[in-house]
Amino acid sequence: MANAPLSKNRSKSWLAAVPLLAFVALVFGVPLVVILGGTFTRGGAVSTANVTESVQGAYLTALLGSVKLSALVAVVGAVLGTFLAQAVVTSRFRALREAVLTASGVLSNFGGVPLAFAWIATLGNSGVITTSLGFDARGWSLYNFWGLALVYLYFSIPLMVLVVVPALDGLRPQWREAAQNNGASAWQFWRYVGIPVLTPTLLGGVVLLFGGSFAAYATAQAMVGSAVPLVTLQIANALSGNVLIGHENVALALSLDMIVVAGLVMAVYLPLQRRSARWLR
Amino acid sequence: MAALSPQTLPAATKATPAPGRPHRIRVWRGAILLVAAVYFLVPLIASFAFTVKTPGKGVTLDAYGQIFSAEGFGRALLLSLGLGVATIAVVLLLTLPAMLAVRLSVPRLRPILEVVCTLPLVVPPITFVAGISKVLQWGPDYLASTPFYQTIISIQNPDFPVVLVLTYVVLALPFVYRALDAGLSAIDARTLVEAARNLGASWPHLLLRVIVPNLRAALANASFLTLALVLGEFTIARLLSFQTFPVWIYTISGSQAQVSVAVSVFSLLITWLLLLALSSAGARQRSGK
Amino acid sequence: MNGARVEFRGLRRRFGNTVALDGLDLTAEPGELLALLGPSGCGKTTALRCLAGFEHPDEGEILVDGSDITRVPANRRDAGMVFQSYSLFPNLNVKDNVAFGLRVRKAPTARRHARAQELLELVGLPSIGERYPHQLSGGQQQRVALARALALEPRVLLLDEPLSALDAKVRVNLREEIRRLQLSLGITTIFVTHDQEEALSVADRVAVLRAGRLEQVADPATLYDRPATPFVAEFVGTMNHLPGRVSGDKVTVLGQELPVEGPVPDSADVNVLIRPEAVLLTPDEDGDGKVLVSSFRGSTARLRVQLPDGSEALADVPGHHSVRLAPGTAVRVALVERPVLVSVASSGEHGR
Repeated sequence: MANAPLSKNRSKSWLAAVPLLAFVALVFGVPLVVILGGTFTRGGAVSTANVTESVQGAYLTALLGSVKLSALVAVVGAVLGTFLAQAVVTSRFRALREAVLTASGVLSNFGGVPLAFAWIATLGNSGVITTSLGFDARGWSLYNFWGLALVYLYFSIPLMVLVVVPALDGLRPQWREAAQNNGASAWQFWRYVGIPVLTPTLLGGVVLLFGGSFAAYATAQAMVGSAVPLVTLQIANALSGNVLIGHENVALALSLDMIVVAGLVMAVYLPLQRRSARWLR
Repeated sequence: MAALSPQTLPAATKATPAPGRPHRIRVWRGAILLVAAVYFLVPLIASFAFTVKTPGKGVTLDAYGQIFSAEGFGRALLLSLGLGVATIAVVLLLTLPAMLAVRLSVPRLRPILEVVCTLPLVVPPITFVAGISKVLQWGPDYLASTPFYQTIISIQNPDFPVVLVLTYVVLALPFVYRALDAGLSAIDARTLVEAARNLGASWPHLLLRVIVPNLRAALANASFLTLALVLGEFTIARLLSFQTFPVWIYTISGSQAQVSVAVSVFSLLITWLLLLALSSAGARQRSGK
Repeated sequence: MNGARVEFRGLRRRFGNTVALDGLDLTAEPGELLALLGPSGCGKTTALRCLAGFEHPDEGEILVDGSDITRVPANRRDAGMVFQSYSLFPNLNVKDNVAFGLRVRKAPTARRHARAQELLELVGLPSIGERYPHQLSGGQQQRVALARALALEPRVLLLDEPLSALDAKVRVNLREEIRRLQLSLGITTIFVTHDQEEALSVADRVAVLRAGRLEQVADPATLYDRPATPFVAEFVGTMNHLPGRVSGDKVTVLGQELPVEGPVPDSADVNVLIRPEAVLLTPDEDGDGKVLVSSFRGSTARLRVQLPDGSEALADVPGHHSVRLAPGTAVRVALVERPVLVSVASSGEHGR
């Protein structure tokens, strides 16, 4: 019985997991319950008024705006990130690869307020590039939907590189050679083997990028304030008391909307990841 | 089988290097790398240029000097660092024993632990803070007559808001879990523990002398990710009105645009250095094995 | 399906500073199974990859049935290849893997499936068409890879160490099956391996490569009995190196005078290469040799013997003799009378 010393402790060793589970239940679970409870309460009575209000008018515009922005950034970021990763993976220069991966590690974490300021200093109204290239005279503005997408790509593309490089490394050279050996052109290899094998990873990356942009608040707040309707900005607004008296719980309803969207997107991600792990083992 | 017949091919001379494809690929790859370099480097360079060029004064590094003398800088940075250290301590103390126990003796709980630790990824920080602020509001209403009331008040002490530590632990859970899980898989914890127990090591001894040293890289990784998260976190701190470092940068940007950009550049540099130090430490440990 | 003649002519290929092929000349006759044997880095895989079109020789040409294919792109060569391992497409099931080439050529679905089934039966796996590669054992995967390589009825079959990732038992079974299949199809096959036993047991002829050049090409029996060079002698089978003295075209070893085969070196002190089965042992209390270790192998036993001069040699004896030749037994050592290869004395130790 090799496990004898362990199994003696088995009966009570699960206790070590209790503090963690209790902590999550309290700090994470209670606020979630409160969101759920608050969403369906108005003026002390059970009601769906908050939910209804959260998917109407300006709130709906903001929710759709967030989804549109995140979807755009996710798809464009995934495509560009994949091309960049492929360029790096196929390169013979080991140092280039290391440099790009390290830079991606840093830049994918480069979000929030500093990111916004870096871009404002570059392409904002008095940014270095804006003024030196005379963009300001041509009606250029960074503070809109497209500007925000440009800035979000700055952390999304590196994140995609980090996600997709291991998958590209996992594409065995034998597969390409076996395909060639069976008469396939380069394009046919990608169509029948390369892209299908990468698809779970690519979709997983899209989901991750979507989640990152969807939840982003700091960058948008620092860059556009409320010029672009986004659900995170609306929630912050409502939390800061910028709502009708008695409608405070709309912020909670909007939060629930966000969680539902994020949850749906995540639900796609996990099974995909499992499948790609199996293929690329 | 006609595909092989040589007349379908151009009569290539022997001097020609292998078919034209590799060349095309190289051009294509170069173009992509060039565009990427421009996109990623220009904002960094431009930000730096923005901080050193002042109309009428030429090029100076004044903005960087002003960071340290700016009102509230020290307090905000210390607060964020303190929160970071506290968060790292709490999150490691909670996760490491739980993950070890689950891996060693209750593998059935592992999927549950994984889901619990991944769940915070699904919940955007802004919604999390919506829930938290509601709890903090309701707390006094319902708990005014109980000792919990004092607790709720004290965790919101602006000098050291424990409530931020609590929420940051939750936000850090997914990253810490993944880092430690990878570390534990790499060292085959079960064999290590069995070997050490077989030699008569006690559990605390085992944890500190056997597991932790072998997990150094994973622990460093988890700590770094947590620290980066805490130092950059803006949403929760701002909406709960605590003056952490990112909130401070945001606050001063109105009056001192150059300084705020200088801090941004600075913080990126710091992250870069930390990451480099971490990866080289990881490499050293790997080669040392 | 008729076998094609494959010719390598003066093939050269270098990677940076390493020379993989240094003027390789070699011909595979129609329908034969030619093994390329050699230590790693000898150029055998490079030669195969040049034939498949994955590598391009710096110099020289490759002819298939007399036509030069050196510049034909890999996807238009008429050669099916089986890789070392893990070459099945993970996203396709077995049937689609086998029929991949037909799909690329836009063959109708019904024909693809029929052909895949036919080939799977050929390799002895008729009922796994719907499974995915990760659900197969290593041996099954290589059978499927073989079926895929044969699907387009290639004129040449290329096997790049197809068995080296498999368990010993599976390896022996599969190599026999490959041979059976190859004989029934009559397809010219080039089999790259570093395992001399594998090469000798399946090939019509074996080409031994060393540092990018052909050392010897011959049928297995000739290669074993009459190795052309000391390198081949070393690499194929086991060899004893016994110290000897050359005089004229004879060499004296263990007090016996044997004719020298091949070139006679200038120096008088040489190593004489002797197969273990050419070392004869007789139990004799006055013998000046001694059995040190005996390992019984069924029909034979391999003994390690101490020689009068203190050096050691390996000797193979019939299995039932091993009882009389237990460790510690004093023996008389003699060598079979036949021409022997010699090499210039260097290490003075015996073979692998």
